[in-house]
Amino acid sequence: MRIDTIELKEALPQVFRDDPAPESQIWLTDVEFRRPNLYMVAAESGKGKSSMCSYIYGNRNDYMGQILFNGEDIRNYDIMRWSEIRRSHLALLPQELRLFPELSAMDNIRLKNRLTDFKTEEEILMMLDMLGIKHKANQLAAYLSVGQQQRVAIVRSLCQPFDFIMLDEPVSHLDAGNNRIAADLIVEEAKRQQAGVITTSVGNHLALVDPITLRL
Amino acid sequence: MSQPSIVWRLLRRNISAGQIAGFAAANLVGMIIVLTALQFYRDVTSVINTEDNMLTQDYIVLSRKVKDVSFGKSTGFSVADIADIEKQPWVKRVAPFTASRFHVTGKIDLGSGMYTHLFFESIPDDYFDTLPPDWSFDPEEENPTIPIVLSRDYLALYNFGFAATRGLPQFSEELISELELKVSVSGNGLERTFPGRVVGFSNRLNTISAPQAFVEWANGIYAVDKEEDPMRLIVQVTDPGDPVIKAYLEEHGMESAGDKLESGKAAHFFTIATTVVVGVGVIICLLSFFILMLSVYLLIQKNRQKIHDLILLGYTPGQVSKYYIRLSVITNVSVLLLSCITVFVAQQLWLEPVRTIGSEVASLIPTYIVGLIMVLVIIGFNVAAIKRLTRRSV
Repeated sequence: MRIDTIELKEALPQVFRDDPAPESQIWLTDVEFRRPNLYMVAAESGKGKSSMCSYIYGNRNDYMGQILFNGEDIRNYDIMRWSEIRRSHLALLPQELRLFPELSAMDNIRLKNRLTDFKTEEEILMMLDMLGIKHKANQLAAYLSVGQQQRVAIVRSLCQPFDFIMLDEPVSHLDAGNNRIAADLIVEEAKRQQAGVITTSVGNHLALVDPITLRL
Repeated sequence: MSQPSIVWRLLRRNISAGQIAGFAAANLVGMIIVLTALQFYRDVTSVINTEDNMLTQDYIVLSRKVKDVSFGKSTGFSVADIADIEKQPWVKRVAPFTASRFHVTGKIDLGSGMYTHLFFESIPDDYFDTLPPDWSFDPEEENPTIPIVLSRDYLALYNFGFAATRGLPQFSEELISELELKVSVSGNGLERTFPGRVVGFSNRLNTISAPQAFVEWANGIYAVDKEEDPMRLIVQVTDPGDPVIKAYLEEHGMESAGDKLESGKAAHFFTIATTVVVGVGVIICLLSFFILMLSVYLLIQKNRQKIHDLILLGYTPGQVSKYYIRLSVITNVSVLLLSCITVFVAQQLWLEPVRTIGSEVASLIPTYIVGLIMVLVIIGFNVAAIKRLTRRSV
């Protein structure tokens, strides 16, 4: 069953518990992400946007309040459930990218794609080509610049079926041209899958057209 | 298409070949010691036991020591004696020999007939580990045959002590078994002749044994003497080498037939020695097992971040841990195979001496099964640890 809505109800990272109530459209309020909408979560750093992504992705649960998929509390999902969600329902581009430095760019992408069997090698190469790093496909990720790594990670996050794709500062190291291309790739894939896009940014926004903007 | 090589390329980092080899070598040494000792023990004890497969080592036959000439005075075991023996901690169970209380003569027709007075004794059928062939007697049958188990000592006595000096024929065990005996039973003015056949030879039963069913039936019909206390007892003991037995027998003026306790004592020390050797082997295996557990723990600890990242990509803990499980299984199965081969080769070293004694070595299969069980236990604990540690990295 597809995830149609992601809701945060009175959610707050536990570390913010004793701070004065934030003026936020995410924390300590009720907010709903609905596919196939595009969302932009804008924030200064330190407001907990990476935490939000980790909570929704099931990587961390040190929050108060509730997070719901289709109205169902996700706090008690077990690891098998999360594995299935991460293969078929939720895509995440983490801010720290989490590429394996000892693998080539292509193998990093294959690592995901072999799991989902979603894209062909040609499709992957085409995306790398559009982002201008096809010639780096067989280079170890360790030797790629941060901007190049970011583009590899973007391609990897697209190699799966998803209902929502979360991108945590996906273009912080990309120029305007590559930002444009990355945004097109992401939105196109999301459209094809009728999926929602949630992207965060501290300054360099992913070039989405008319996203719903929320302040963190 | 699944090509796991990328995941494996990630996860095999930090595998310490030295640690795995160290475990494999140590475990191999331990396994070889355990399995070789077990096989050697079984082969050697098979030599000890081969002579008597009807009764195993664990039986002794008790009788009273005869002092001077004792006419009339009973040298048998009273009910109280038997009850006391039964109470001893080294006794599993005890039964009296039932003696024939009628006249028996045996005749062999070999051109010139040979004729002798005989007697029979019997022990309960369930004291035989394997019943001698055709070990039954049914008086209702047309012409029932009496199966007989003869003491080897008796045959040796006849062949080498008697026949050789009297110009009488010597008989091999095989030939004796072929002969048809005519057994005449008489008493109370009645007489009947049965065919008889020697169906086996025993070292432990130094008597002429017939089925309990026959002796009891014939006693009921032909017995002339009144029933007396049994002269001999068969006792199943926990360990024939136990020195407590010897002390008890001496104290109560008893002896065990043929003093099989001596070989029992040797077997006893052999058992202790084997236990020590196997124990050392098991300890080596245990220590090597800890090397393996430690190695796996370090490996997963070092790769913790990678495992975590793989699981964030959507890999299940099972998909990740299967590589380490495979490594553990391959290592352990290789150790098992090598140690099994070593035991097989080692057995060749003592194969010839055992065969010259006229015995066959024991089967390797039970030893291999022991090895398999040990390896399965190691793998079992190892796999459980791998799964637990992997899940902890989630």
